[in-house]
Amino acid sequence: MSNQVGTLEKQEHEELGPVGLLGAAAIDLYIGGRELYSVFVRTLFYTFRGRRDKGAVLHQMYEIGNRSVFFISTTMGFLGMILVYQSGLQAKRVVPEFTMLGATYLELLVRDFAASLGALMLATRVGAGIAAEIGSMVVTEQVDALRMCAADPIDFLIVPRFLASMVMTFCLIIWAGTVAFVAGGLTAYAAFDVPLQTFFNMALVDVGDLSIGLAKCLAYGVAIPIVSGYCGLSTFGGSEGVGWATTRAVVNTSLAIIILNFFISGAGFLIFPG
Amino acid sequence: MAAQTTNPSKGGEPGAFAAFLASIGGGFLSAAQTTGGMTILLARILSRVLRIKVDGRELWKNLYKMAVKSLPIVVVTALFTGAIMVIQAATIVKRYGAEGLLGWGAGFGTLREIAPLLTALMISGRVGANNTAELGTMVVTEQLDALRVLAIDPISFLIAPRFIAIVSTLFMMTLFADALALLGAAYTGQALLGVSPTTFYNGLTAGLLGFGDVANGLLKSVVFGLVMALASCYFGLSTSGGAPGVGRAVNATVVTSAAGVFVLDYLVSFALGG
Repeated sequence: MSNQVGTLEKQEHEELGPVGLLGAAAIDLYIGGRELYSVFVRTLFYTFRGRRDKGAVLHQMYEIGNRSVFFISTTMGFLGMILVYQSGLQAKRVVPEFTMLGATYLELLVRDFAASLGALMLATRVGAGIAAEIGSMVVTEQVDALRMCAADPIDFLIVPRFLASMVMTFCLIIWAGTVAFVAGGLTAYAAFDVPLQTFFNMALVDVGDLSIGLAKCLAYGVAIPIVSGYCGLSTFGGSEGVGWATTRAVVNTSLAIIILNFFISGAGFLIFPG
Repeated sequence: MAAQTTNPSKGGEPGAFAAFLASIGGGFLSAAQTTGGMTILLARILSRVLRIKVDGRELWKNLYKMAVKSLPIVVVTALFTGAIMVIQAATIVKRYGAEGLLGWGAGFGTLREIAPLLTALMISGRVGANNTAELGTMVVTEQLDALRVLAIDPISFLIAPRFIAIVSTLFMMTLFADALALLGAAYTGQALLGVSPTTFYNGLTAGLLGFGDVANGLLKSVVFGLVMALASCYFGLSTSGGAPGVGRAVNATVVTSAAGVFVLDYLVSFALGG
C-alpha cells in the first residue's frame, strides 16, 4: 500500500516547493520507519509464537554464515593489516615505542572495529543477498502465493533469516576479530619488528570493552535481517525493482549499523568511562 | 563432478575430496574470469575516454544522479563517523590526559583511512549497486542490443559516462566526508570530553598532520572509485536471467567492490608508506 503512496508522492515531487519536498521526505521517512518497526515487532512475535522449522533456520545459517566466511576472512585480514600499519605510522610520529601497540589495537578491535567493520561487510554480503532473494520472490508473486495459503511471509521468510543471522553474526564477528588481530600481529612483526609475544597482550581489554563489543554484535545481528528483509518485502516493479530493493538494503543496513554504532559507543563510553 | 568419474574405485571419501578441490578450482577460475573480464572492460572504456568518445549529456545526467543525490547519505555517514572516531579515541585521551592530541588522533585516522573507506562503502551501496541494477535491467530487457542495432556504441554511450561519473563522485564525496567527519568529531569532542573545537582544530593543524595525509586519503578514493566503477559496470553488463539475475548481479557487485576496496586499501597504504 505504502509503496503506491510513495510512487504517487514521487510523481507529485515536481509540483512541490522546497518546503513541500522536505515534508514529503519526512513523511516517507516516517512511513518507512513505521513499517520497519512493524516488521521488527512481527518478527519478534513469530519468533516466540510461530511455527518451528529447524531445517529452514539451519539452511539460512549455512547461507549466511558458512558462505560468508571466505569473504569476511579476506576483508578483515586486509583490514587488520591496514589498521596496524596505519597506527604504527601514527605512533612513530609521536613516540617510537610499540610495546602497547598490540594491547591498544586489541582493545579497539574488541570494542569497535571487529564488530562494526565486520558487520558492514556482512551488511553488503548478507543484506544484499536477503533483499535480492526476497525481492525476487515478491516480484514473481511467490510472496502473494504464501499469503494466499494463509502463511505470513514474515513467519516463513524473515524469522529463519533473523534467527540465523543473530547466531551467525556472533560467530562471524568473533572470527573476524581473530583474523584481524592475527593479521595485525604479523604486520607489526614484519613492518615494525614488534615481537609476537609483545603484540599478543590482553592487558587493556576489560569487561566494559567486551560487553560493548557483544552488545554491538547483538544489535547488528538483529538489524541486518530486519532492515534488508523489510527492503526486500517492499519491492515493487520488475527486475529494476529487485535492483532497487537490493541497493536500498545495502545502504539502509549500513546506515543502521553506523547509527547503532554511534549510540552504543556513546552509551558505552558513558557507562564504562576509561 | 568430472573428478569423481576418474577415480570411482576409491569410494566416497576421495570423491568428496575431489569435489571439494573442484569447487576450490571453480572458485579460482571464476575469479580469474571476473578479473579478466574487468580488465578487458577497462581497456575498452579507456580507449573511448582517451579518444573523447563519451556522451556528454549522459555523463552530466549521471553525475547529478550519482553525486548530488548521494549527498544526504554521505553527510549522515560522515558526521556519525567523525563522532565514532572521537568516542573511540576518547578512552585513550582520558587515560593519558592528552587532550591537545585529540584532533591529531581523530584526524589522522579519519583523513587517511576511515573517511575514504566508509564513503567508498556507502557510495558502493548507493551508486555502484544502483548502476548495476540499471545496466542489468537494460541488458535483461534487451535495450543494449537495441542500441547496437542502432549502431550506437554502448560503451561510449552508457558505460564510459557512468565510469567517469562514479570515479569523480567518489572523489568529491570523499572531500566532503573529510570535512564533515572532522566537524562531527570536533563537536563530539566538545560534548563528550569538553575539548573545545579550537583545541581540536589546533591539534589538527599543529604540524603532525600535513597535506600528505589528505592527499593519501584522496588518492585512495580515486583507486576505490576505479574498482567500484569497473565492478559495477562489469556485473551489470554480464547480467542474465530476469529479475533474480538482476538481484544476483547487484549482490556480486557490492561483494566484489567491498573486497576490492579492502585489498587495494592495503596495497595503496603499503605502497605510499608514511
